[in-house]
Amino acid sequence: MPEYTLVNSKMLSVTLRNEEVFAKRGAMIAYTGRVDFAPSSSGSEGLGGMAMRSVTGERMTLMSARGTGEVLYAFYGRHVTMVHLSGETFYAESESLLAYDGRLRSGTQFLGSSGVGGLIRGAATGSGLFTTTLTGSGELAIISDGDAIALDVTPDRPVFVDPQAYIGHRGQLRSDLVTDVGWKTFVGQSSGESYQLKFTGGGTVYIQAAERGGNR
Amino acid sequence: MTRFRLENSRLLEVTLQNERVMTRAGSMVAYDGQMKFEKAILGGEGLFGALKRRVGGEGFDLMTTSGTGRVYVAQNAAEILLVPLQNDRIFIESSSVLAFDHGMRSNTVFAGLRGASSGQGLFTTSIEGTGNVAAISDGTAIALEVTQSEPLFVDPDAFIGYTGNVRQEFVFDVNWKTLVGRSSGESYQLKFTGGGIVYIQPSERR
Amino acid sequence: MIFNARNLPSNDNVNPYAFCVDVAGEMFIQKGKMIAYYGALRFESLSAGPYGALVKESFNSPLYANDFVVVTGQGRLILGDRGNNIASYDLKEGNLTVRGANVLGFEPSLVCQESTVPGYLTLLGTGKFLASSNGAVHFLEPPVRVDEDALLGWADMPSPSYRYDYGYMRGMFGMVRSMIGGRSSGEEKQLDFTGQGTVLIQSSEMGLVGSTALDDVLARTGSLQQNELQQLLSHINQRLQQS
Repeated sequence: MPEYTLVNSKMLSVTLRNEEVFAKRGAMIAYTGRVDFAPSSSGSEGLGGMAMRSVTGERMTLMSARGTGEVLYAFYGRHVTMVHLSGETFYAESESLLAYDGRLRSGTQFLGSSGVGGLIRGAATGSGLFTTTLTGSGELAIISDGDAIALDVTPDRPVFVDPQAYIGHRGQLRSDLVTDVGWKTFVGQSSGESYQLKFTGGGTVYIQAAERGGNR
Repeated sequence: MTRFRLENSRLLEVTLQNERVMTRAGSMVAYDGQMKFEKAILGGEGLFGALKRRVGGEGFDLMTTSGTGRVYVAQNAAEILLVPLQNDRIFIESSSVLAFDHGMRSNTVFAGLRGASSGQGLFTTSIEGTGNVAAISDGTAIALEVTQSEPLFVDPDAFIGYTGNVRQEFVFDVNWKTLVGRSSGESYQLKFTGGGIVYIQPSERR
Repeated sequence: MIFNARNLPSNDNVNPYAFCVDVAGEMFIQKGKMIAYYGALRFESLSAGPYGALVKESFNSPLYANDFVVVTGQGRLILGDRGNNIASYDLKEGNLTVRGANVLGFEPSLVCQESTVPGYLTLLGTGKFLASSNGAVHFLEPPVRVDEDALLGWADMPSPSYRYDYGYMRGMFGMVRSMIGGRSSGEEKQLDFTGQGTVLIQSSEMGLVGSTALDDVLARTGSLQQNELQQLLSHINQRLQQS
């Protein structure tokens, strides 16, 4: 299986032995050995996910790297965090996903209030509330502006998150879009966000210390 | 005193027990518990301050968060400098203010000619009392001592704030603009004398 | 930790993003990177009278002459570069080529020349220099292929050449270019390093202010004649109409 190593806080090394890894397009910064790169619009995801994305205009272009050698990944100085899964599902905000391999099955899921209303709201703001889901046992790498921060959610302590700071979550969590007058007016004013993400249940939410699309 | 803790170098966690905290508008990334958000005006600023802000284009707004729970605050993944004050006062570049104890008094000070050429940093905010002050810094902030015998010179873009009996002067130097300042640059440098601490960031302000 | 003129690190990092130079004599530093100093320091243009001999010996790059100044005097000088990591390098009878925008300063015991690769400076000899990087620097041994955006420099080895992915080549022949779309990414075009030596890479140059390619083009327009400038103008207009 591909071997993932953090070179430093902003660089990931993946060692391939006649294997394949999927990574964010443009993130490959160097490689040694014999490795071929090819666009892979879907990774190992099904048709449903593709249809879902084309509806919303969400695009997650992945590059597949296949062969034997070492590939280094980094993205605009973002911090890299490894996540280990054992028979569970990780929900990653699509722009925050850096790399994974065929051990994980990918799909797409809308985050927030289910149904058409929620879908339109998410699509209208273009905030990428469609998440890529990765299920199985293995590793994946996510990127964040500053180090990723894991927030615990317990049934008695729901967590509210700025959608622009959300990078992913895992566990038995329910997510809802919530509007709050105070939040709407004062918190998300620069980004025009009018809602927050509320997570309830038991699990972990990952956030970054910046709003996506900030000036970095 | 409200509890401020750095979750990591770029994320501030403020724990509130039926308390209030002042934060820069738009800086909250997450919270739990029961919280209420309200618009706030920088203390003592008044009409003049609001006018100055509009002129300077600072877009510096504060909000008050009150309730019980934890609030997470960050800004553009900048690093965060925590300065605890005991009945003391800090002068801080307005665009660097991230959060401070609600119980502290804040004021906006017109900082002379500063920023006239760049339209930036027209104001310095003073925060006074006992409590925590959090400032944003692009890269890890550095605390530099100023004494009578050792004046300190600082690039205005790197300046965050100061505490103590520090005198701030604007030194206009032809060489400065043409040789050292960035192309968008300042035509002056800041000279600090007296006794106190000056905080700088290893970067120009964005 | 509160620093002052006495306890600031001497020729060492204050933190990963700031470096303190113990100035005692002359040094070349990039404009705009000084963030603070103690002591009596003077900043002078390379064209200033007293530095003719110094420039002749150590600074052989007209393209970058306006980007550097000479700092002289006695004091502690703190340098910063947009919150990027800063590291110092000791060269011993060596040669190291670094992206010009990332060279923050160097001792006059080194010689600075323009690399044949646009946007890069080569430092030769024995002495210390300072360079910034987005994230920590990572060292690689050839053979290796590197995305141009992540390249910081290379030491003791020949200049690289371009290596295009076969898919990109096919695209050039008009088949799949539109599918990949727009500008090539690191997966399609890399710098290929072979031979002996060391390659230095960083997370990315992106996110930093300015573009190396544009800076380089603009700097070179200085030497163009009137008719050449006209040719350049019509070339640019043609490109703009195409896009």
